[in-house]
Amino acid sequence: MKILIVEDEPSLREIMQRALVQERYVVETAATFTEADIKISGYSYDCILLDIMLPDGNGLKLLERLKELHKRENVIIISARDSIEDKVLGLEQGADDYLPKPFHTAELLARIRSVLRRGRSGGERALTLGNVSLEPDNGRVTVAGKELPLLKKEFDILLYFMQRPNHLVDKSVLAEAVWGDHADQADNFQFVYAQMKNLRHKLTEAGASLEIKAVYGFGYKLIPPVEEA
Amino acid sequence: MKLIYRITLRLSLVLLPLLVLWAVLFYFRMVNEINDETDDALDNYSELIIVRILAGRELPLPNNGSNNNYSVTLVDEAYAASHPHIDYYDAEVYIPEKEETEPARILTTIFQDDRGQYYELKVATPTFEKDDLIHSILLWIVILYCTLLVTILGVTVWVFHRNMRPLYALLHWLDSYIPGQKSVLPPDDTNITEFRRLNAAARQAVNRSEELFEQQKQFIGNASHELQTPLAILGNRIEWLLDNTDPSEIQTGELLKIQRTLGDIVRLNKTLLLLTKIENGQFPESTDVEISAMIREQAETYAEIYAHRHIECIQNKTEPLTVQMNRSLASTLVSNLLKNAYIHTQEGGRIEIELRDRTWTMANSGKEPLDGQRIFERFYQGHKKEGSTGLGLSLVQAVGKYYGLRIEYHFSAGMHRFSVTWP
Repeated sequence: MKILIVEDEPSLREIMQRALVQERYVVETAATFTEADIKISGYSYDCILLDIMLPDGNGLKLLERLKELHKRENVIIISARDSIEDKVLGLEQGADDYLPKPFHTAELLARIRSVLRRGRSGGERALTLGNVSLEPDNGRVTVAGKELPLLKKEFDILLYFMQRPNHLVDKSVLAEAVWGDHADQADNFQFVYAQMKNLRHKLTEAGASLEIKAVYGFGYKLIPPVEEA
Repeated sequence: MKLIYRITLRLSLVLLPLLVLWAVLFYFRMVNEINDETDDALDNYSELIIVRILAGRELPLPNNGSNNNYSVTLVDEAYAASHPHIDYYDAEVYIPEKEETEPARILTTIFQDDRGQYYELKVATPTFEKDDLIHSILLWIVILYCTLLVTILGVTVWVFHRNMRPLYALLHWLDSYIPGQKSVLPPDDTNITEFRRLNAAARQAVNRSEELFEQQKQFIGNASHELQTPLAILGNRIEWLLDNTDPSEIQTGELLKIQRTLGDIVRLNKTLLLLTKIENGQFPESTDVEISAMIREQAETYAEIYAHRHIECIQNKTEPLTVQMNRSLASTLVSNLLKNAYIHTQEGGRIEIELRDRTWTMANSGKEPLDGQRIFERFYQGHKKEGSTGLGLSLVQAVGKYYGLRIEYHFSAGMHRFSVTWP
């Protein structure tokens, strides 16, 4: 899998590159619009991470260039301007996703995986880890082929973790991801714990081969089955 | 105090001593003039009598109906030497015909006939009563004062209003001016230099303040945008440390604390951007939003999140309400008021939600009233809460302003009450 990072800020470029290389992607980078333009003309990528505020031009123009070149790369727009207009415009011009800054690495990886999965099969394919399979589009979870009924919040939590295997998720981050902005000033995460307890219980009952582990009481981490790790 | 009142008052005050002074001068001038005339008459009269006495001719009758009278007495040499020979003075004299005393002007003349005998001639003529004169002058002065005052003030007010019209136009414009809203420019329809300059100054000030306002808005927006990338870098580096360096429990704890604080900054930044966007009117598309349902759903979420606080949430009299709003702004409004109530309610407290007559009232138990003037200000926090941006109610107000909603706060019966009324 080959990914092009178009980002003008060196430090962010470096850390994105490092994270992606760790995930065994082949990564190339471009710091300017011109550089990115040259790269997309000469090579093909599976996914392009595109910062739209570049020193020498608007990243959205790159989408037009891709169209001119008749290329069908997956593009995730990364923007410091979290504006609906940019998002709509970007998606209209053929981008696959829109990720506002600042973002979590885990979120970026999850989006890349999701875009790549969609790219291969049209609709979003099921996420599978060990004997657990989750279909994001219709909300179905199966463990070893048997359907596991989950409540809405439990499903959301499981989806969040399956998109971020091996990643330590802080309780507050999880709360905001699942409960939305409503939870951003919570001072007690009992409600996360309660849902988590039910989910973990259900997973164990069904004999799931993955495990969501509590880490020092700070947060949780999804540990995939050993043979896959 | 209005300028015209001040001018009127000053004019009245200045006119008062001026007219009094004038009245006094007038009185003395008048008395002098009358005395002068009287003295002339007395002179003539006494001359006539003296001539007749010296000529030994028949004297006129002491009282000839003209109220003038005279008396001639013989005086000795010593008396003549010790008294002035011609003396005018005022005195009260008794008039036998009228049987009363009247003020009179008297001339005494001491003269000597050819035999060396001294006579004293007293000639008196009744004059005016000074009290009457003073009264009459006073009365007319008062009348003059009032008439003058009314006339002067009337003219002044008329002239004032006619000439000050541009000033009032400018003041009226100032009253209606709201910074940041592209309003009409100050009036410019006068050819009086002073007012032209005033209007020009107002126009300049407005342009400057509009520019500053715009700059400030842009500055906040730009600063927030510029922060996004460094914030992303920081967050990602912390995540990398957490996932790749196998930190100890203490290290993990510290890193997560840094991450949470960073999360607070990210949230603050996002909120500032949202405020800027609302103020710039960047949420044009409105749809039908069922506010009642939105409140119900969000209240449930908050009840779950804050379940450990054992806050009792009562939803009474909730009428269905659908309004035209941008969905995400409606959600911001509902969410921030609810969150505000949950965050600031003590454990075991009470929250009441009521929605009727297009007014949504959010009440939560509290100890003392808040500063209703300042709670909607950015970053105003009665009691600092960690992780709180201090922008929640500012957001509520910004959304309210955007849609012309009436947002009010008051404290009664131990409850903070926030109400939002849709027009």
